[in-house]
Amino acid sequence: MKRLLLSVSDGRGFDIALVSVPLIFLFTMAGLPLVYNIVMSFQEVDMFSLGTIFRPFVGLKNYTTLFSMPETWPILKNTALFVIASIAGQFIIGFALALFFWTNFPGASWMRGLFLVSWVMPGLVVGAIWNWILSGDFGVLNYLLRESGLITGHIFWRSDPDFSLWAVVIANIWLGISFNMILLSVGLSTIPQDLYEAAELDGANVIQRFFTITLPMMRSTIGAIISLGLIFTLQQFDLFAAITAGGPNNSSNVAQYWAWDLSFRQYDFAQGATISVIMIVFVMIASVVYVRSTRHEVRG
Amino acid sequence: MTVHQIELTGINKYYGAYHALRDIDLKIRKGAFVALVGPSGCGKSTLLRSLAGLETISSGDLVIAGTKMNGVPPRKRDLAMVFQSYALYPHMTVEQNLTYSLRIRGVDKAEAKRKAEEVAATTGLSHLLGRYPRELSGGQRQRVAMSRAIIRNPKAFLFDEPLSNLDAALRVHMRKEIRALHDRLKATSVYVTHDQIEAMTMADHVVVMRQGIIEQQGAPLDLYDRPVNKFVAGFIGSPAMNFVPASSGADGKSLRLEFEAPQAIPLTRPVQAGQPLLVGIRPEHFELAGDADAMLRLPVGAVETTGASTYITTATEPELVIVLNSRAAIRSGEVIGLRFDPSHLHLFDQQTEMRLG
Repeated sequence: MKRLLLSVSDGRGFDIALVSVPLIFLFTMAGLPLVYNIVMSFQEVDMFSLGTIFRPFVGLKNYTTLFSMPETWPILKNTALFVIASIAGQFIIGFALALFFWTNFPGASWMRGLFLVSWVMPGLVVGAIWNWILSGDFGVLNYLLRESGLITGHIFWRSDPDFSLWAVVIANIWLGISFNMILLSVGLSTIPQDLYEAAELDGANVIQRFFTITLPMMRSTIGAIISLGLIFTLQQFDLFAAITAGGPNNSSNVAQYWAWDLSFRQYDFAQGATISVIMIVFVMIASVVYVRSTRHEVRG
Repeated sequence: MTVHQIELTGINKYYGAYHALRDIDLKIRKGAFVALVGPSGCGKSTLLRSLAGLETISSGDLVIAGTKMNGVPPRKRDLAMVFQSYALYPHMTVEQNLTYSLRIRGVDKAEAKRKAEEVAATTGLSHLLGRYPRELSGGQRQRVAMSRAIIRNPKAFLFDEPLSNLDAALRVHMRKEIRALHDRLKATSVYVTHDQIEAMTMADHVVVMRQGIIEQQGAPLDLYDRPVNKFVAGFIGSPAMNFVPASSGADGKSLRLEFEAPQAIPLTRPVQAGQPLLVGIRPEHFELAGDADAMLRLPVGAVETTGASTYITTATEPELVIVLNSRAAIRSGEVIGLRFDPSHLHLFDQQTEMRLG
């Protein structure tokens, strides 16, 4: 104890003390729940054994049960669809906007700032707004599609099993565009202007400059954004809760919402934990990609 | 077919209300090495970038190889530029950097590779073709930037202060290398620099600019021998020319230099009597003189010796700098006699600062 105090007063070891504070915080707030979740996925958990840690060990039974359930594969397929469509939409529209604002017309930075509005809004509020927009009878989206002649009847976005997942995808794309745009804008602004001038003198037109300079120079930014996008879409819960609640008949259910539903509405904590563990694996892979791509930055 | 590769007539450039280039007229002979030189903000880089098409000119005619290029985008002007920062593509190897312009034009891979190897051999980069720019030294990057320009065989080379990121020794070396390269390729080159020594040593034709105006252009030694005004006189030459206010005597054949203790010197060419003048004399044109033939007697302020030459600063107002290409046992506080050839004097009007005679 005296040595510990001494290490603070003489300055040596003080760095370790400083680092240990966030480490302890991370371990208790993130590490322990994570481990607890993994442990639960190998146990039999019911309402009566919730209060203890030492519960009957059941091996991989929770996993085999999970994959024998009829809804598992459709829900995993929904999750993949949701993640891929969301990331693709957010990234492509975000990149297009970033390039648009990069041309720096008068008021560009001011307008770019406005786009952050979607990002600061709580997911439940975004969900409520989109509930109105997507509404089958009087929604703005249906009105626009009908008036432009793309559809003839009404689409019941939230209650039609063919559209329910896409309703959430649309809202999630809208929610994520600004985040993608800001990060991509930052990436664009780090590319030295003289590279474009050199390429221009070397004879490259706008499209050639985009594919030979912009894209390769943005590689690490793009890697980071895609992996962050994967992490964020796998965490997206509010929109499901607000728009479809996974329905109808699981047609818009995804793993993260299902895990919550199993744990806290059906009180099947073991199954909920099992799904979470499967998701942790995917998020871990994305994290590794993220860390690697931010490390491999190309700088002249 | 004109002998001028680049012809600029009445070029003006405005940034909003700021008048960056004012009525620039400049003709560049095919195969010439032209240096644009001047202090920062004089418009030399703007002029170069306007040539390249990276800036649009507000008015005037810009003709390259007989074709008017005013609104033509940079990629269709067939000019190659070496940037101050080199602007190498960081995600490409040296070979890819060199062949970029060829690949953009759709030259086939084998041909591009052959050309890259050919150019690399002449610039000493053969062993570095597989490296990335970040793995190269400053001098090597500089060579890659030049090779990237050479490989295209463009109508003209544009250099934007290409040596300013190098250390002093390498700069002197690259100066010779660029000049040798120019002599070998006989390519028209326009070279922007703020360093008058670079301009004087490398160029056939020096253009001195200030505040968007061409103050004077001509062969380097003409600028040194007959500067048209005080600015050019002070800008060309190192250390800079000394200027002393003076007035001519009643007969117009002698000058009174206005130090605290005025001194009279004879003139070879008579000037108008009683005219207020500015006398310019270069530091290297002074000689030490004994009591008998001294034209000036001035107290010494500071003495610096480099071994080869001695720099003397006088304790007068205005102070004079004198460079002697020999060692001299002179100490601060001494009064020395000085002599110079009166034909080396430069006379300027005190008001307009323009050359007289």
